[in-house]
Amino acid sequence: MEATNPTAGWERVGDRFYRKTQLYTAVFGQDLDLDHYIVAGAPYGGAVAICRDETRIVTYRPNQSAKPSIDIYSCAGKLLKSIAWDKGSVKGLGWSEDERLLVVSYDGTVRCYYDLQGEFTQFSLGREAEDFGVHSCRFYDHGMVALLTNNALVSVASYDEPRPKPLATSPEGEIHSWAIISPSCTLSRSVEVLLSVGKTIYVVDATDCEDRLLDIGPFTHISASPNGKFAALYAADGKTHVITSDFQDRLSEYDSKSQITPKYLAWCGNDAVVIAWEDEVNLVGPNSAVASFVYEGRVHVISDHDGVRLLTNDVCDFVQKVPDVTDEVFRFGTESPASVLLDAVEQLENQSPKADDNIQLIRSNLVEAVDTCVAAAGHEFNVHWQKQLLKAASFGKSVLDIYNSDDFVDMCETLRVLNAVRYYEIGLPLSYEQYQRLTPEGLIQRLINRHEYLLALKVAGYLRLPADRIYVHWASAKVRTGAEDDSTICRMIVEKLAGKPGISFETIARAAYDEGRGRLATELLNHEPRAGRQVPLLLSMEEDEIALDKAIESGDSDLIFIVLLHLKKKLPLAAFFRVINTRPAATALVESSALLEGDNTLLKDFYYQDDRRIDGAGIFIREALKQPDARTSGDKLALAAKLLSDSRENNFELVALKEAAALLRMQESLHRDLTDSFKGLSVNETLYKLIHLGYSNKAKRIQSEFKVPEKVAWWIRLRALVAKRDWNEIEEIAKSRKSPIGWEPFFNLILQAGNARLAASFIPKCTNLEPGAAITMYEKCGMRVKAAEEAIKAKNADAWMRLLEAAGKNTTEGREIERLGAQVFKK
Amino acid sequence: MAPHAGFDTEHIRDKARKELLHLLEGVRGKKNLVIERSLAGPVGVIVKVSTLHDYGVDKFFFLENNNADTSQRNAIFMARGECARHVQAIADQIKRLQRESQTGHEFHIFWVPRRTLVSDKLLEEAGVLGDVNISELPIYFFPLERDVLSLELDDSFRDLYLFKDTTSAFLMAKALMGIQSKHGLFPRVVGKGDQAKRVAELLTRMRQEILAGNTTDEANKAGLAPSNSIESVVIIDREVDFVTPLLTQLTYEGLIDEVWGIHNNQTDVDLTIVGASPQTSSQSASAAPNPGTASRKRKIQLDSSDKLYEGLRDTNFAIVGTLLNKVARRLQSDYESRHGTKTTAELKDFVKKLPSYQAEHQSLKIHTGLAEEIMKHTRTDRFSRLLEAQQNLAAGADPSSQHDAIEELIARDTPLAEILRLLCIYSCVSGGIKTKDFEHFRRLILEGYGYQHLITLHNLEKLQLFLSRSSPMANMIPMPGAGNATGTKTNYTYLRKQLRLIVDEVNEHDPDDIAYVYSGYAPLSIRLVQCVLQKQYLFSITRGNAVAGTGIVSGSGGQGWRGFDEVVKHARGPAFDDIQKGEDKAIKARALLSGGGDRKTVFVVFVGGITFTEIAALRFIAMKEEARRNIVICATSIISGNKMMEAGIEKSPFVQDDSRPIVFT
Repeated sequence: MEATNPTAGWERVGDRFYRKTQLYTAVFGQDLDLDHYIVAGAPYGGAVAICRDETRIVTYRPNQSAKPSIDIYSCAGKLLKSIAWDKGSVKGLGWSEDERLLVVSYDGTVRCYYDLQGEFTQFSLGREAEDFGVHSCRFYDHGMVALLTNNALVSVASYDEPRPKPLATSPEGEIHSWAIISPSCTLSRSVEVLLSVGKTIYVVDATDCEDRLLDIGPFTHISASPNGKFAALYAADGKTHVITSDFQDRLSEYDSKSQITPKYLAWCGNDAVVIAWEDEVNLVGPNSAVASFVYEGRVHVISDHDGVRLLTNDVCDFVQKVPDVTDEVFRFGTESPASVLLDAVEQLENQSPKADDNIQLIRSNLVEAVDTCVAAAGHEFNVHWQKQLLKAASFGKSVLDIYNSDDFVDMCETLRVLNAVRYYEIGLPLSYEQYQRLTPEGLIQRLINRHEYLLALKVAGYLRLPADRIYVHWASAKVRTGAEDDSTICRMIVEKLAGKPGISFETIARAAYDEGRGRLATELLNHEPRAGRQVPLLLSMEEDEIALDKAIESGDSDLIFIVLLHLKKKLPLAAFFRVINTRPAATALVESSALLEGDNTLLKDFYYQDDRRIDGAGIFIREALKQPDARTSGDKLALAAKLLSDSRENNFELVALKEAAALLRMQESLHRDLTDSFKGLSVNETLYKLIHLGYSNKAKRIQSEFKVPEKVAWWIRLRALVAKRDWNEIEEIAKSRKSPIGWEPFFNLILQAGNARLAASFIPKCTNLEPGAAITMYEKCGMRVKAAEEAIKAKNADAWMRLLEAAGKNTTEGREIERLGAQVFKK
Repeated sequence: MAPHAGFDTEHIRDKARKELLHLLEGVRGKKNLVIERSLAGPVGVIVKVSTLHDYGVDKFFFLENNNADTSQRNAIFMARGECARHVQAIADQIKRLQRESQTGHEFHIFWVPRRTLVSDKLLEEAGVLGDVNISELPIYFFPLERDVLSLELDDSFRDLYLFKDTTSAFLMAKALMGIQSKHGLFPRVVGKGDQAKRVAELLTRMRQEILAGNTTDEANKAGLAPSNSIESVVIIDREVDFVTPLLTQLTYEGLIDEVWGIHNNQTDVDLTIVGASPQTSSQSASAAPNPGTASRKRKIQLDSSDKLYEGLRDTNFAIVGTLLNKVARRLQSDYESRHGTKTTAELKDFVKKLPSYQAEHQSLKIHTGLAEEIMKHTRTDRFSRLLEAQQNLAAGADPSSQHDAIEELIARDTPLAEILRLLCIYSCVSGGIKTKDFEHFRRLILEGYGYQHLITLHNLEKLQLFLSRSSPMANMIPMPGAGNATGTKTNYTYLRKQLRLIVDEVNEHDPDDIAYVYSGYAPLSIRLVQCVLQKQYLFSITRGNAVAGTGIVSGSGGQGWRGFDEVVKHARGPAFDDIQKGEDKAIKARALLSGGGDRKTVFVVFVGGITFTEIAALRFIAMKEEARRNIVICATSIISGNKMMEAGIEKSPFVQDDSRPIVFT
């Protein structure tokens, strides 16, 4: 029996071979009439969900419960879970790529069963779906599209954050059939829907609805190929058309000559289309080549990425194109190096010298032959042939001097895993290609969902993958269902999981909490090493202060904020302050966000209870700044002063506040008298403006009122007068004997203002000048003769020469300078 | 240098760009981009506006302006997820757009650098969470230059030291964690200051969390072993050295920052100074859709793409004129060379070079204009008084001798920020101001600039920048030899001598010490970095070779703070020196694989911001150390004395009588 010919199930379709592999037998019991059920299978050999098709009438059987349910089976027919369904008629039944079951009811309610144990999340497709009702649904990798009875289309792109979004408006008229192309295959990266309306096909995506102008419809079935490049259309006249999905090229046409509408039209890989009637399955390849299979009883087709699964009461078959490598090894009459190598190992077993002849024959292609054998082993379902192929590869590489065995080793490991999960009790008939797409992590997740923890751990250990998720899932399940008391369970879990890396006790604790075992949750949470992770759960457990501490510990201000938001809403203000006062990090965040948002009320209370008077006064000052008139500003300043008045420490601030109020009053009266606005100016600026406007006396009054230092006042006066170009007034000042700021500033500023004459008049008044400074000062005023006089006074011959040269010897100035210096510097 | 192991900021830029464009691609069709103002500049560093247009962005709006219109079906909001106010603003605008427009809109939010729980919660409360598509754009570091990475958190200084909000430190730790997960653990973490310590602790914590977390991630696995391409990370808290940024920066780039301010490698300069842009204005890489203000000003890109600027930026301003002159002459002679062309081949050669000449010519024109303007600024009486006072204070002159100068500057209505910088230097250097003088200065400030600055002064006290000797915070000044081991305050008097902060002879043309950046003052912060990286050099200049020959030398071979432990104690905050070890096997394997990399990277991290002069000084060190190390500078933001003062200054005066509300942005 072992040695069944590997090509036994092969069928020729055109120039290609397809093979049908029997995966499991005796799948469903005989009393289950599959004819009356809707069947949906998860991709990658996943579970199969069936529910009763309500359009069919069933014979009443008294011993069968009439309660509607959705049953989940493994591919081998093992019942995994039976879910009671109470939401009325099922309008959509499908799976996501990560094996979440989606059930859509007529009113647009979608339930997403995220494990195979009946736990679900629920969302609605929106108002329109509620109003009009769902007609049918199509599913892709991680999203779905629903067709409503009013022809509107609603898409959901992710089940984690479901956001039902209407697609572009679809055309009026009866929709004969429809299909979708997954967003991962379209150019627009949005899901595309193909609608058969009238004789043509419409393509609808998020923004457009386009008529593809076909005239061969209506189509009773539409199906898009797994890579999204082609579409198969089954017309009402029994013809099947294969067209590129942009509807530019018709690739092939096949006439089934059948009067009966088929049940299924599906793609088998990307090259062939499967058409299934009640009990007959046709496989149509390119150029209309056909192979057909006939079953006893009703056949259901579950399309997968690289083939289709055919499901009847008795068997579960997998139909796929024979992989190229398998074809190369086993094809009848082939003389490929790999097949010769395979033959060689047979000869070897028979101890025939031909083995060596074979090797010599393919010597030059041996590496290629070994590679092919390894790859072909992966694609083989039959253990005998797997072994045989690997033996061949092993024999081949032993002859080779150097060969990288990584692929060989990997393949051995992979096959071991694949064979383990294909075992009927597990019922995951993964093909090699599906396994590559699913990834080992994905496989482990599937095992976890089936509560096959032991196998999952074994696989994880064997493939050197982290096992934390398995442990956590196990513990969570334990917490949910375990009958033992809290401390026993906690001890058991901690003992089992101690020392294992990456265990998220938070997840387990959450499961415990959700189950209503609060105390157990707290105990478990203490074992969680990541402080940040604990916060949300602690919050929902009402352990607010612990949550706050943990959040602070994590240093993540986002977490601190979320706890603070929660606390602020929940607690009365006084209690809230009590909680944060002992925690500076929290206090700082509350204070800074209130400051930035301008929440003065909160700040006032906060500073008051914390006795931070100066900060509190600051809030009133800020408010004072915003008041439109002096009176209300003054009131606010008074409030600020009142806050500070209790303590002597704040004397300086108190005085300043009083002065600020006085200044405001004074500015207001100035405003009345002079009809010019002074508000918003500082004391110095007020002085400056008054002098600039020519009200020196008023300025004097303010100066004395606010005790502006003499020096500062002089500077302001000087600047204002210079800006005003009030030279008379400045000359008036110049008459006074002394200036507290010296006379150089006068010289500098006046010179900058361009009055060199007046500036020069200050030079003699400047005392304490560095020697020679006067020379440059006169020079700057353009008075070279005067400068020369200074130079002579300072006995600075160089400066004198320089001045002379600058003036030029033949100008009057030059002659004058020469005359002056002539006696002194004559040598 | 092993090409695969080396750290390159370009990777960070590329990754950030790819992620942003990928997200934009995910939104189908044309879209309007509503961006937080403080993000627009940093994003401009990563990707050009024209590229964004190529990816279907139609119009730009600032989130703060609340003027996004309904012209496109898609509206993308881009903001920092840490900030609750922006969440509210976004929610309000979404609701407004939904109200105003008849057609349905698609709303997208890109949170930078991460989506926060708070943002989700607030959006939920506002009732819009269900209407938006939310994505994360995990950009932490914005690479300003090949050797400078900045978080570009403009408010980080204010948040850290005034508000005590440590979010910036957390984000810095996250960002460094990102580097670690790609290149391996920093084998050594050295640092100084409270916030630096916090960052280091967060790094340890995050590392443990990764260890505890699932190890499926390939990237995380790498993060568990010490890197062999990285030597260490040196983390310096700004708080350790406030004086350096308060001083006026004297490098070319520093002065441009002082005069006009540089934001995200760009500065706005009046057209009269630099002349109009030769190309159309669309060239400007900023995302600023602000036609009103753009007309008079021109944005100037200041980065290493401008070769001339690259040569000038870090030099002392004193020699910029000479350098510009040299370039001008060379350019002239290059142009003249066309007269010497004899054959057509030579002429062709010349024509080929012409565009590069023109670009250089253009840049020369800009920088001559800028340099002239800066010259004008530095020649004013006021500037020289300020600088003189600053330098006297920094050099340790008797502060009371500067009173007159300070008083005069106030009377002359010097910009408030400049005056406050001076007073803060005074207070920091001399450990607080005598109570009487303190009151006097405070009065002068209030009278000179308005009583609202009571708040300003109080803020500066909170920042511990401007203190009275009698204040409780000031009397913790450690005196040399006093018992308190970890300084609560930086003792400049002691450090000035021990670390030779004042260097009298500075050769600006061919600098031999980092002190050239302040014309004679060596930034303390950078001296501390030298304590770690250039021990030999520092020994030689502080103690003389003779002393270095005795006992202490044993420390020179050491790492971390070794040899300077005593000195470092006199700066504020704790010093630390941690070694991160992984499994020994892993180290050996990695070292074997890489063949013991020759030139390793050192990350110098400034929490709380770094100035351009400090960058210049670090580049100077990097040049000296080129053979051994590669220095990469990381900072929460670029700061200057003025920006520090901005954090404290109360900005609104009393409302004017005509009651036109003054809008501050």
